Amino acid sequence: MPDLNAFSTDSLCTMISSPDWLRELDHTADIGIAVQADDLKTLFERAAHGMLSLLTDIESVEAKITRDVRASGGDLQELMRNWLSEVNFLHIQEHLVFRTFEITSFTEQELAATIAGESIDRERHDIFTEIKAVTYHGLSIEKENGLWHAEIIFDM
Amino acid sequence: MIELRPHSDACWEVPRTGDMLVPAHIYATEEMLEDISSDDAVQQAVNVAHMPGILKASIAMPDIHWGYGFPIGGVAAFDPSDGVISPGGVGYDINCGVRLMGSKLSKDDIEGSLEKLVDILFARVPTGVGASGAMTVSKEDVRKVAVEGARWPVSHGYGSEADLDVIEENGQVDGGITDYLSDRSIDRGTTQLGTLGSGNHFLEVGHVAEIYDEEAASAMGLFPGQVTVIIHSGSRGFGYQVCDDYLSVMDKAMKKYDINLPDRQLACAPIQSEEGQRYIGAMRCAINYAFANRQVMAHNTRTSFEEVLGMSPRDVGLYTIYEVAHNIAKFEIHKVNGSEQEVCVHRKGATRAFGPGARDVPGKYKDIGQPVLIPGDMGRYSYVLTGTKTAMEKTFGSTCHGAGRKMSRRQAKKEARGRNIGKELADRGIIVRGESQRTINEEHSDAYKDVKNVVKACEVAGISKTVAQLRPLGVIKG
Repeated sequence: MPDLNAFSTDSLCTMISSPDWLRELDHTADIGIAVQADDLKTLFERAAHGMLSLLTDIESVEAKITRDVRASGGDLQELMRNWLSEVNFLHIQEHLVFRTFEITSFTEQELAATIAGESIDRERHDIFTEIKAVTYHGLSIEKENGLWHAEIIFDM
Repeated sequence: MIELRPHSDACWEVPRTGDMLVPAHIYATEEMLEDISSDDAVQQAVNVAHMPGILKASIAMPDIHWGYGFPIGGVAAFDPSDGVISPGGVGYDINCGVRLMGSKLSKDDIEGSLEKLVDILFARVPTGVGASGAMTVSKEDVRKVAVEGARWPVSHGYGSEADLDVIEENGQVDGGITDYLSDRSIDRGTTQLGTLGSGNHFLEVGHVAEIYDEEAASAMGLFPGQVTVIIHSGSRGFGYQVCDDYLSVMDKAMKKYDINLPDRQLACAPIQSEEGQRYIGAMRCAINYAFANRQVMAHNTRTSFEEVLGMSPRDVGLYTIYEVAHNIAKFEIHKVNGSEQEVCVHRKGATRAFGPGARDVPGKYKDIGQPVLIPGDMGRYSYVLTGTKTAMEKTFGSTCHGAGRKMSRRQAKKEARGRNIGKELADRGIIVRGESQRTINEEHSDAYKDVKNVVKACEVAGISKTVAQLRPLGVIKG
């Protein structure tokens, strides 16, 4: 159990750095992410990375075990929601945290991926929060100036 | 900005215009209006007024803020024959609620043991965030919990019948139909019974700081300095999954039944439709799961107190004062246009607040009205209220549910940078334990509105009466 009196918040905040393709979105009660990538497959991989970065410090996670994930959806939005919901389900149900997300086959209605991570070790992994659901609210996936952008809000 | 016209004490009306079926009633003091109008919550309350079968008014409490479709702090009642049911009107955390417990202990009795007590509670009442729960149950047991509610843990030695007497609906609703649940809900239910969750959920050991209504306080057994416990949690992943599953079902049902609303997120289905009935059956399972969840946590809280203090259950005397739900849809009898009828009340971030003499209020509270627990933030205070006859007349027997966030989580983290919130609270005698420093920072007092103003607005409007103020001593956050 972390002793909250033992360290200051400063060190923690500077430890967590975020790649330039990922941004946290402000939302009063909930929290969101904005990601960008050159292609859709990478966009989806980065969205999963972004979601995990809300849950834990990904740098503290080692890729020791893998899980295969499949997701489908009628459109890109639904596919994104279902993909992230699957990853979140594995995190919650199997008490795993993930570091890498490799989509091995991708169409706009279906994807297969191998994600790698390890069991949560409370000595090494801070779990910041819990995502109740990946919502459709404000969920957008668009291509602009040759770059794909996605915004996703999570119900916390 | 939407024009709000004065309607009655601390109540403002958006009159019926366009396709609105009823007006919107916003409960707030004048000072709160600017803040309330700062997001789209009032517009959301207006949107709800368009929903088929809505009765009397789309109602918003003083702690109203933006929510998914429905505003958080919204109350809407629908006619069971031609009205709709909406998962967005209940929320992801079905039957999120609050249990208040009193004890025989005074603040001084636990002073020396407080830190140890909070540590044990942190272990015994796990947050369940990324870790295993207090207990693992089989899928078959999850199905039983979904039907039996708090009766299931009581029959397995977690607490007593006396607890059930003072839980809304006596800790169990009929009509939970497990066939309407997805496999995934059941799976998620196996590992999370007896866990708090994250976000604004918490367990707080506190004390009675002020008493404003002697008669009601005495009926609840409250005395100055008394050690109290508040447990704020809901149906966990089981309920989130039910909501998620049925949002998709309702989205399709809207098209099927040709329901056109200003916001697609108000996804709903006629109460009498198959989709509506299936959601109701699944939602009731989640209601029961939440009752069971809080019952297990209450029991584990008791054993933690007994162990740390080395006292018998009788000497600790942790008893349930009352437990309320504040994310729920239920069929209740209310007066509409002068005559009583059954209505389907959605309370999303609003608490049932039945007045003196009302049906379903336990015998010992018949004269004072149903106890209502309004949690504040972890650094300030929470309130005990009672329901009123005015609430029965004006708000389908409902009042507010909490403080509401002032800052986004990101803003709160930024605000906390360079500060040590845990230590700041410890310096004020409040011990906090959380899964991570970040959780504590996101939930610090300044990130929340002052719950005192919310409670005051409800009192001015007459929809609840303030009984006591509780202040925190030790807090566990997910």
